[in-house]
Amino acid sequence: MTLSDRSSLSRREYVRSLVAAGGVSALAACLDAVDGDGASGATDVPTGTDDPDSLPERQHAWNDALSSDDDGNVALPEHHVLVALSLVDHPDETSRETVERAFETLERAYEWSNEGLVFTIGYTPSYFERFDDPVPDSVDLPEPAALTDRESPTFDEFDALFHLASDRPSVVLEAEEGLFGECETVNDVSVETGLSDVFERLEDDRRTGFVGDGLPAERTDVDGVPDSVPEEAPFFMGFRSGFRESQATEDRVTITEGPFAGGTTQHVSSMDIQLEVWFDQENHYQRVSKMFSPEHAEREMVGDHGERLGATSELSDERIEATEADARERGVVGHAQKAARARENGDPLLLRRDFNTVDDGPGLHFVSLQREISEFVRVREAMTGADLDVPFANNGIRHYIFIDRRGNALIPPRSLRSLPPANPTRRT
Amino acid sequence: MQEHDTIDRRTVIRLGAATGLLAAAGCLELGGNGEDPDEDTGESTEDDDVTVAPELVEVDDPPAAVYLPTHREAMRMLEPIEAGEFVLAPMLSYPHPFWVIAGGGTDDEVERVDPDDGRGVHMMFTLWDAETGIVLPADEGAQIRVFRDGESVGSPRSPWAMISQGMGFHFGDNVPLPEDGTYTVEVTIPSISTTRTGALEGRLTESRTATFEFVYDDEFRHEVVDGVEYFDEEYWGRPGAIGPMDHGEHGDGHGEHGDDGHGEHGDDGHDEHGDDDHDEHGDDGHDEHGDDDHDHHVPYSALPRVEEYPGTLLVGPTSDSVPEETEDLPRSGDAAMLATVFESGFRLADGDERYLLVSPRTPYNRVPLADMSLSVTVERDGEVVGESTLEQTLDGEYDLHYGASIADIEPGDSVTITIESPPQVARHQGYETAFLEMPPVEFVLEDR
Repeated sequence: MTLSDRSSLSRREYVRSLVAAGGVSALAACLDAVDGDGASGATDVPTGTDDPDSLPERQHAWNDALSSDDDGNVALPEHHVLVALSLVDHPDETSRETVERAFETLERAYEWSNEGLVFTIGYTPSYFERFDDPVPDSVDLPEPAALTDRESPTFDEFDALFHLASDRPSVVLEAEEGLFGECETVNDVSVETGLSDVFERLEDDRRTGFVGDGLPAERTDVDGVPDSVPEEAPFFMGFRSGFRESQATEDRVTITEGPFAGGTTQHVSSMDIQLEVWFDQENHYQRVSKMFSPEHAEREMVGDHGERLGATSELSDERIEATEADARERGVVGHAQKAARARENGDPLLLRRDFNTVDDGPGLHFVSLQREISEFVRVREAMTGADLDVPFANNGIRHYIFIDRRGNALIPPRSLRSLPPANPTRRT
Repeated sequence: MQEHDTIDRRTVIRLGAATGLLAAAGCLELGGNGEDPDEDTGESTEDDDVTVAPELVEVDDPPAAVYLPTHREAMRMLEPIEAGEFVLAPMLSYPHPFWVIAGGGTDDEVERVDPDDGRGVHMMFTLWDAETGIVLPADEGAQIRVFRDGESVGSPRSPWAMISQGMGFHFGDNVPLPEDGTYTVEVTIPSISTTRTGALEGRLTESRTATFEFVYDDEFRHEVVDGVEYFDEEYWGRPGAIGPMDHGEHGDGHGEHGDDGHGEHGDDGHDEHGDDDHDEHGDDGHDEHGDDDHDHHVPYSALPRVEEYPGTLLVGPTSDSVPEETEDLPRSGDAAMLATVFESGFRLADGDERYLLVSPRTPYNRVPLADMSLSVTVERDGEVVGESTLEQTLDGEYDLHYGASIADIEPGDSVTITIESPPQVARHQGYETAFLEMPPVEFVLEDR
């Protein structure tokens, strides 16, 4: 992949394009861009720990380590990479050891935080098929499937998905290159064993992206991203997301039974977003109606990009229950009110760690954690709203979303993260 | 097929070649700054005076009703494509404004969509059922993907369900194009989830994909820009509608059968002639004018005429005659509201109940008004004896309508149809001010 011409892009834009490109030359260019930029400062990256036991047993325990916004919502790191991996040989003790040492190297090199690095490794149904035993019943990990008749996604059929996230673009690049590429050190910690002998990195399935106030609006150079993306918006569709009260807790998404207790399941879907129509054809009132609810629009509850909302999307029980009536009586329903219908006793089932992308035009990599994949499917059904008496174009944001891929994975607890057998109670 | 020669021509607005067209209407040209050279190839796209669209002439302060627009668009018709049980006919015109709606009819809920000023097309297709010829007025989320040399152009899009006077119900959107060239379009038609009955029952359940190609170049632009017909200014904004375009031509304005606008321009009272001569569902010959030799036929989404609905037609409480034409039906937001009660034993009714069929349509061209929410209240001696929502249904015989089985209804009952939400379909010029504020319509079931 050729690197972008630096002269034509803002610095932030340039380093994001380097993350998307990946590879050691991108890393070199990235360090160069950051270091050579005295003012915005290449400060030292905080280092990690030599004591693996000091880290949480849950790989997906990111929230306590991440920063929060003023309203107490968890702020995801700005830069994300999803690395698709294919196993070279059947796992054995040697390769397990190699993988574990590689991950511990990253944990020594980088603080478990936005400023350092957070990551997870998840294993797909394809990975577990190689074992004699099936995955235990305490884990709900079906093969991915199309969830509406309107999509025909590609499915993730590789073995493992490595999700890296940091506020620093050079960190995600360096960590990835340290394990799979040509970097000999990561944050000055030498990499003794990389993962290249164990995993093959699938370049075509590598995905990248970003999240954060103002980042989407900087992508207007990309085909399909209109100039009208709001300056302040953290997401492409122009509104804040990830409100604390719309997110499941880490406890809620954690598997509680069986050998993989402490783990979670991950669904990743990748989609195109039709932003030109969203911003240039609809008005703000219609966008709020379709993203939140028609009442949010009527009562001006959202503000330009969600700044009037605090830690919640202001979805009262009443508004969620009104979804069906809104469909009929108002001819439009909101994405948020629809999806909230799947809450259990008021609690959301999904912990979303999604981020926008321009890998292939504007889009979203929707990363969702939940105790069971079937819970994701249930929320998605509520979001689809096939039961609602509303025309497609006014059924939330479905008119703007085009699903390209789906994949399911099990993110084991940290103690089982390195090439786990399908049923760890019976080592095979 | 109607013999349109029998029409009383004195009462027909013939907006076509016979009407003095405005000469030398201006054009929109691309400025020299709207284009960026193609950096990959070093080619710079010539940006000297490319005329993308004709001048937009609009009606000042149009009435809150169906009105005659200033012009008829020209378009390029492509070969219809069969895709499983579906057939779709792609059509291309120049980018132009339309209106999208999400909710009621307030200003906030309706938005005018203006095309950007670069190259592009208004891409449309009419979708129908191959077996019955019925145009399918159902927004199920079709998808369009545009490619050039195997690379995708822009993001995928879901075209809007739309109505226009000349085209009837169709799907469309303004699609920007980066430069001149050959484009490939992949259209994905999802299965139809709207309730289907009669000849449509259990059918149209398979999603299908169809592909077509077109060339965007000077020739195309000349064709659609020069082909625009501006009507004489005296007609602009009057209540009325232009007739269905002759789908066999390049939209060059023949075939103005005057099914519209009778009595809409001062000399009313001529209701005695059949006001329609356009074809129904493609099952009878299209209005051939003898001067087109096209070999593909695109149906126009006209609902059946009033007389084709059996049962007892409901009439307004003060009506002294039974409406014979769509134009004579009670209106709400200028939509003509046909409501009829079938005798028991009708195939769509439950058990031995009667069936109320409500068929809202545009007043002149009988275009179905889809994606409304309707409910009915039946009253007798001031007491409510029945209430129900009406289900949007696609029937092989009666096409799009809203229906409910009614257990208890008698002659003399008052029947109120309430429009909970107006048709959630996008509109072209001439329809954007109608079908928004839609008050309830009162009817009486007469003893006939």
